[in-house]
Amino acid sequence: MSSVIPARAAIYEGTRIPSPIPTVLAVDPAQHDLEDILTINFGPNHPSMHGVLRLIVDLDGERIAGLEAVIGYLHTGFEKTMEQKTWWKGITYPTRVDYVAFQANELVFVLAIEQLLGIEVPRKATWMRQCLSELTRIHSHLVWLGTSALELGAISVFWYAFRERDVILDLFEMVTGVRMHTRYFQAGGLAEDIPPGFYPKARAFCERMPKAVDEYEQLLDSQQIWLQRTKRVGLLSAADALALGQSGPVLRASGVNWDLRKSMPYLAYDEVEFNVPVYYNGDVYDRYKVHMDEMRESTRIVAQCLERLEGMEGEPWIADDRKVVLPPREELHTSMESLIHHFKIVTEGYRVPEGEVYVAIESPRGESAVYVCSDGGPKPWRVKFRAPSLVALEATATCMTDAYIADFIAVVGSLDSVMGDTDR
Amino acid sequence: MDYEGVPGLVETREAFGETTLVVDPARIVEACTHLRDAEGFNFCSDVSAVDYLGWGERGVAGYIGTRGGRDLHAPGSQGHARVPEPKPKRFAVNYHLLAVADEPRRVRVQAWLDDGDELASVVSVWPTADWHEREIWDLMGIGFTGHPNLRRLLLDDDWEGHPLRKDYPVGGEPVRFSEAE
Amino acid sequence: MAVESGGPLAALGLQSERLLWPTRGPHAKGPGVFEQEVAALEQAVGLTTLGKAIAWAQSKSMWPDTFGLACCAIEMMSIVTSRYDIARFGMEAWRASPRQADLLIVSGRVAHKMAEPLRQIYDQMLEPKWVIAMGACASSGGMFNNYTILQGVDKIVPVDIHVPGCPPRPEALMEGIIRLHEKVQAGVPPAYEIRGVAS
Repeated sequence: MSSVIPARAAIYEGTRIPSPIPTVLAVDPAQHDLEDILTINFGPNHPSMHGVLRLIVDLDGERIAGLEAVIGYLHTGFEKTMEQKTWWKGITYPTRVDYVAFQANELVFVLAIEQLLGIEVPRKATWMRQCLSELTRIHSHLVWLGTSALELGAISVFWYAFRERDVILDLFEMVTGVRMHTRYFQAGGLAEDIPPGFYPKARAFCERMPKAVDEYEQLLDSQQIWLQRTKRVGLLSAADALALGQSGPVLRASGVNWDLRKSMPYLAYDEVEFNVPVYYNGDVYDRYKVHMDEMRESTRIVAQCLERLEGMEGEPWIADDRKVVLPPREELHTSMESLIHHFKIVTEGYRVPEGEVYVAIESPRGESAVYVCSDGGPKPWRVKFRAPSLVALEATATCMTDAYIADFIAVVGSLDSVMGDTDR
Repeated sequence: MDYEGVPGLVETREAFGETTLVVDPARIVEACTHLRDAEGFNFCSDVSAVDYLGWGERGVAGYIGTRGGRDLHAPGSQGHARVPEPKPKRFAVNYHLLAVADEPRRVRVQAWLDDGDELASVVSVWPTADWHEREIWDLMGIGFTGHPNLRRLLLDDDWEGHPLRKDYPVGGEPVRFSEAE
Repeated sequence: MAVESGGPLAALGLQSERLLWPTRGPHAKGPGVFEQEVAALEQAVGLTTLGKAIAWAQSKSMWPDTFGLACCAIEMMSIVTSRYDIARFGMEAWRASPRQADLLIVSGRVAHKMAEPLRQIYDQMLEPKWVIAMGACASSGGMFNNYTILQGVDKIVPVDIHVPGCPPRPEALMEGIIRLHEKVQAGVPPAYEIRGVAS
C-alpha cells in the first residue's frame, strides 16, 4: 500500500456505535464554531445516493465529522394501503417494496399467508420459488454491483453487470410474463405452470454466470483504485453489527456466519448444497467479496433446482384447496361448485384465519420479514415489513467514524439499501 | 421453551409455531435485558405496533355475525367458525427477537397499551430499536420515554396525525372517470 | 384532417395513436395516421428552417437528469445499457446537475415529502425543458391512492409525455422518448408553454 494513503484505524476495540444517538454522528457544538465545519446536504436527488436518501453531513476538511440520515422521501404507505385490499390483491404490493429484489418480499408475504392458512404447498411450487428466489438474489447483486461500481468510478462494470441482468429478466419474462414486479407467487403455490423452454434457457444462464462473475472480479480486483477505495474502509465489527440488527452480506462480511437459509431453512434450502461466504475484515471490500461469492453460490443452487424441477413434469404447481386457490378455468364450464368458489374468491376474497405470524427469509439484503396480523377476514388487519434496508442505514454512522467523503460514497453503496424497502 | 424467568411476564402463547410473551409494559426494559443477557436473544429483528381499534366490528371470521348479533344479509362464510377474540387494549407493541446462535430461536414480546400510554425505549438494550421506535412514533403515535431522538422518520416534520392508526383515513383522491363529466 | 375537441394538443391537430405497421414490402400500408398528422402539424406550425434546425438539434441530444425515484428507475437505468441503448438517440449523457439537463424523467412514485425537491429540481432546469412522467405512479399515482403519494406528477410540474406501465418496459420508455423527439421536431412547444404552469 502506498504511504500517501493515511493508515486507517485498526478494526476495533470496543464499540464504535456513536452515543447518545446510535444512528447519528454529532459534532460537538463548541467545536462547530471554533473549527471550519461545513454542513453539506447530500440528496435526495444525487447521482450516488441509491434512490432518494438524504444525508446531512458535517465536514471538517474532507473528513466526516457529523452525519445524519433523513429518509421518507419514498414513503408510499404500503402498510396502510394493503389493509384496504384483499389478500389476493395485496400480493401485488410487496413486490414493489424492495424493487430490486422484488420476488423476495412477495415470497415472504405469501409464506405468511400460507402459514396462517395452514395450507400445504406442492413441492414443484416450493422448488420453483427457490429457483426464482435465487435468480432474484443474483439480479439484486448485479444491480448492486453495477451501481456501486459506477459510483466509485468503475463505470464499465455497470454495463457488464446489466448485460447479465437482462438475461435474468428474460427468464422472468418467459416464466411470469413480465420483467420486473412479477406477481407469480400465489397463496398455495405458483400462478402458472413452468413454460416449456425454460430449462434449457436457465441452464445456459447457469453456465454463463460463473464466467461472468469471474469477469467482473477480473475487472475490479486488479484495479488499484478500487482496492484502495474499498479496503479498510467502512469498518463494522461483528458485535456492533449484531447490536445494530444488520443481517445479510453486511453481517457476513463482519465475520458472523449467519444465513437464514442455513440456520433456519425455509422452502427447500436444506435439500440443496451451497456454501455461505463469510469474511472477517468488516470493510467495504469484504462486503463486495461476499456479494460476488453469493452470486456463484446462487448459480449453484439454481442449477440444482433445475435438476429437481425437470423431474417434476406434470405435477401440480398450486395447492388443491378450492377455498383459497382459483379452480382451473376449464372446470368453470362444468362444475357449479367451481363457479361459486371462483366467484367468492374473486369478489370477496378468501378468508385467512385469525392470528399473527412473523415470517423471515434471507433476501439479498438480509433478513427480510413480514409481520401479518389477520382478523379472520378477507383483508389483512396489519401488515408490517421488516426492511433490511432501514436497518442497514442505521449503521451508516457507525461505519463512518474517521471516514473521508470519498469513503462515504463507498460505504453507503456497500450497505446496499434500497429506498423503497427503507421507506415503504 | 420455558420463559418463566422473564420479569413482568403476564402470559405465554403459542400459535402457528411461534411463541409470544405478553409482558407488562412498565417492565419492558427489564424483560428485554433479561432476554438478551440470560436467554441469548442478541438480535432485535423488528419492533412493530398494531392498532386494534374496531377489531371484530366488521363482521368477520366466517361466522355470519358481528359482536352485535347475527346478520342474515351478510355474505356467507367459508367454514371458519369464530368471531375474533377481543383484545385487552387498543395498541400492541411487538418486539421480534432472534437468538443468533448455533441453536437459533425466535420469540415475540408483546406489550399492550392504551391510547396516550408511553413505553420505555429499548435503545439501551439493542441500538437497532432506534429507528423502529421512531417509525412507530411517526406512524402510530406511541411515545417512547428515554428515546434519544424521538422525531418523525418517514413523514414530513410538520405532518399532523399518525397515519397508520385506524381512525386516520387512507387519503388519496376519488378516481374520476371520463363518462362522469 | 379533422380537429376534434379535447386538450391543447388536439387544437394543434394531434389526436390519434401511432400504429406500427410495415411501410415497405407486400403488406405496406403507407404512413400511419400519426406520421400524417405530424407532417400536417409541421405544416400548420410552420417552423422556419432555422426553427427546424434548432428543433432537430434539441431532440438529437436531449440530456436527461438522473431523477430515479423507485422501481421505474431500475428500468430507466436499463435503457442506458447495451441491449436497449439510448445512446443511439444521443441521450447517454445523463447529467446529475439539473442545470445541465434538458429532460426530467420522473421515474417512480412521488411522495408528498419528495414533491418539494422535485419542484426545486424542475425549477433549476433551464429552458427549454421537457418532462416525461414515467410509469403509472408518476402519471397518476399508480396503484397507490393514499395519504402520501402525489396523484400524478402533473399536479406540480407540466408533463409532456406520460408513459404507462408498472414499470414500463425499456422499449416503452424509449417509445415515449422518441415520441417526444418527434413532437419537438414538429414544433410543438414544451409543456410549460402550453399548460400555462409557471415555469
